[in-house]
Amino acid sequence: MDQFLKKNLSIISFIFIPILFLWHPNWLGIMGIQPYWPLFWLLPWSMIYGSINGLIVGFCLGIILDSISIGGGFTQIPGLMLCGIWFGRFSKSDNVFLLHFRYGLICAIGSFLCGSFYFFQFLIQDFPYNKFFLFFPSVKNVLAQVFLTGLLAPFLCSQLFGLFKRSK
Amino acid sequence: MINIRRIYNGRWRHKKKKAIFLIFLLFLVFVRFSKGSFYKDFYYYISKPFWPGQFQREVISTSLDQELLIKSKQLENDNKRLRELLSLHRLSDSQTISAAVISRKNGSWWRQIILNKGSKHGVEVGSPVIGPGGLLGRVKNTSFLTSSVILLTSPESKVGVWIDRVQKHGLMVGTANDYPKLIFYTKDVDIKVGDFVSSSPASTLLPPNIPVGIIKSVDANSNANKTVNVLLLGKPQAIDWVQILKMKI
Repeated sequence: MDQFLKKNLSIISFIFIPILFLWHPNWLGIMGIQPYWPLFWLLPWSMIYGSINGLIVGFCLGIILDSISIGGGFTQIPGLMLCGIWFGRFSKSDNVFLLHFRYGLICAIGSFLCGSFYFFQFLIQDFPYNKFFLFFPSVKNVLAQVFLTGLLAPFLCSQLFGLFKRSK
Repeated sequence: MINIRRIYNGRWRHKKKKAIFLIFLLFLVFVRFSKGSFYKDFYYYISKPFWPGQFQREVISTSLDQELLIKSKQLENDNKRLRELLSLHRLSDSQTISAAVISRKNGSWWRQIILNKGSKHGVEVGSPVIGPGGLLGRVKNTSFLTSSVILLTSPESKVGVWIDRVQKHGLMVGTANDYPKLIFYTKDVDIKVGDFVSSSPASTLLPPNIPVGIIKSVDANSNANKTVNVLLLGKPQAIDWVQILKMKI
């Protein structure tokens, strides 16, 4: 059983991402906005397994997260797929400090990408109805999410990276 | 024998008497010029336990509550009868399903709550959800045991509402923050801050006259239409139990 858990740790932890997404712990947020949880898992996983696997897992994550959140015609898939490919191109640095800083920076940029993709979908879909008033709240959402994701990434990604590496 | 000569300096008690008299005099002057405010404030504190209001207020407020309850019941009956005459939608007799909030996303773009009642309990897609204060949103989809509610603050949400004071309809759309926008497709609407917003009597999606919010501010820079910000009465971030209304369509 222990062996099974150790070997499939990455898959088991994958199952818990939507749970975390739904749990939405308010005490971890700023102005009700949460970090973008899937990136904490996607970054270490893609770094270990590469871009193609990152793309596929990004797609799967997007499908699951879209189905549990009410998004109408909007999707998180493109952002997560792009992040999956991009994250797969990074390799582990030997410098611990640099590695932690990189986790934070990469996740923050990834969160910005995903947030911007989502925002543009709103703008494009509702363009004729002039959703100008969506602009400022959305920018606030994106920035808060980027900040929180970048802040938590060094702690969570380094832990997950170690776990995935051992279970490979 | 040494003669001790006492040097008379005036008696100390005579001096004290003069000092007390002087202080009293100053006090009188103070009272006179302050128009007795010191006395009035002092009286305020010592009489506070004996004020008549504490008990009397409770009695009056209970009576008022009862009066309002009876009036509201009468109006509800009238409303039901008139809506039946006009063949408009109304709530079904079994009316509501109580449900607990098991997941809450009230920030970012995904503004939704998930309830612990689903299709098994008779929840239907499109049913309005209300909490303490007023309308929270509508059921967007259901699973066997849960239902997802799209909140009024979500950018996906669009509901028809009504300002009772000016008797005008408007479209309330979520803007991914806590204050949805209410759009009137004309500029000639006399909307004031503090106006009460309720669900539209002509709506086919919601029961009529459910409290929604109050006008928080009016946008100055709108062109052909008038837009205002609405402060919602139902607070999804603080509500643990809600009511799902069953619509008879």
